[in-house]
Amino acid sequence: MLAFDRVSKIYNLKGVRKVILDDLSFVFPENRNVAIMGKNGAGKSTMMRLLAGSEPPTSGHVYRSLRVSWPLGFAGGFNGSMTGIENIRFVSRIYGQDTERVVTYVKEFAELGPSLRLPIKTYSSGMKARLAFGLSMAINFQVYLIDEITAVGDETFRKKSRAVFQEKLKSSQIIMVSHSAATIQEYCDCGLLLNAGGVTFYDEVTELITAYKSL
Amino acid sequence: MGHRHIVDLLGAGPPHVRQMTTAELLTLQIRVILSLVLRETRATFGTSSFGYIWAVITPTASVAVLVILFSMVGRHAPFGASLALFFATGILTLQFFTETSGKLMTVFDANKALLTYPIIKDVDTILARAILISATYLVIMVIFYAGLILAGMAQFPASPGQLVLVFLSTALLGLGYGTVNAVIVSLWDTWIQIEKVLTRPLFFISGIFYVPSQLPTRAQDYLQWNPILHLVEWFRIGFYPNYSSSVLDKTYPVLVGTVLLLIGLAGERLFRRTRF
Repeated sequence: MLAFDRVSKIYNLKGVRKVILDDLSFVFPENRNVAIMGKNGAGKSTMMRLLAGSEPPTSGHVYRSLRVSWPLGFAGGFNGSMTGIENIRFVSRIYGQDTERVVTYVKEFAELGPSLRLPIKTYSSGMKARLAFGLSMAINFQVYLIDEITAVGDETFRKKSRAVFQEKLKSSQIIMVSHSAATIQEYCDCGLLLNAGGVTFYDEVTELITAYKSL
Repeated sequence: MGHRHIVDLLGAGPPHVRQMTTAELLTLQIRVILSLVLRETRATFGTSSFGYIWAVITPTASVAVLVILFSMVGRHAPFGASLALFFATGILTLQFFTETSGKLMTVFDANKALLTYPIIKDVDTILARAILISATYLVIMVIFYAGLILAGMAQFPASPGQLVLVFLSTALLGLGYGTVNAVIVSLWDTWIQIEKVLTRPLFFISGIFYVPSQLPTRAQDYLQWNPILHLVEWFRIGFYPNYSSSVLDKTYPVLVGTVLLLIGLAGERLFRRTRF
């Protein structure tokens, strides 16, 4: 069960009040992959953080009875002055995983080679994304929250991540933010459209894309 | 989306969510805190071992400065034979407190990126920092006092058990005061500057370079409101075999620390939603 119950999210920054979500109630369908689309600033990433529990709503409740991943994006919670390996160890420790198993997995998956022993601040954004992606794939979640991260790396790497991803999808579901209609079409079968007027659910992903394009 | 509530959709009560047992939650929290301590250790001391050495050198230097100043004007230690020991009992205790509270003040902002991982909560980052600083000061104090003893500038502490209790009480006071400050800073960040000015006199009113009991009663009446003065006195009672204090009340700093911690934790919970 993953559900929003009368969730509102309002930011107050320097006197500017910004309503991101207004009294939204929604039960995320189980065993379906949900796309979240919308223009920049519509609140897609905020919605991901609310789903993950990284941030509390201003009012209302988020119910979560599944093992949900952290929102997988480019930035991530990596510490720049720590090496790739140290960051991997930290995340596997907090999630109670066998540290060495996760390190081995990410080493093989992310193909960062000796760079893993360098501080994260020396990484390119592509390298960081590969690390974040590999790391989350090493830990078993029931729901993966993916924020614009699938189109990472060169063709070989993409092929590999797609294969791992398809394997995961047999037992897990995803909720994905993306601007790319092709990515959405490949992974999702229904979706939410966020815009100033509110949130609309589309049972068919093609309808969602049509609506998104006409925004 | 209509205005149906999820709760209504599912019948009475919130949807069924398996609650974790207290034991499970506790294990989880301990695991997260320990991982954070390890991570903060790396972040604080950097990758070189010089970071650790530096952590010991800094407090040593501030004691040395006072010793040199007092020796130059030909003054004797206000109590006992060793200037270094007397000043250390004051300075290290005060520094332990200010380091803990100072580092905690900015904890919410410094660790914002960590909250990407929903498994980590703000309280975990507070406790992790407090544990790391306490561990650091434990090492600093052991090295420093062992050095003094080996150099013949101090005797072995008269009651080590008391020293352990003062150490824990100092940590508690720093944690409580630091948590309250962290909450205030999260609501109003100018507080960082104001707090610095407000606590600057602590160096003069905590009995660092004098024996509080030898002051006039009027002065003692005011100074005894400062919980750190009690911690310094308590530390000296534990270290010297014959130090006596007319001001010391051991329950006072513990009580202040506990009350501040409760206020701080309540504030953290109360203002959690406004922090995001």
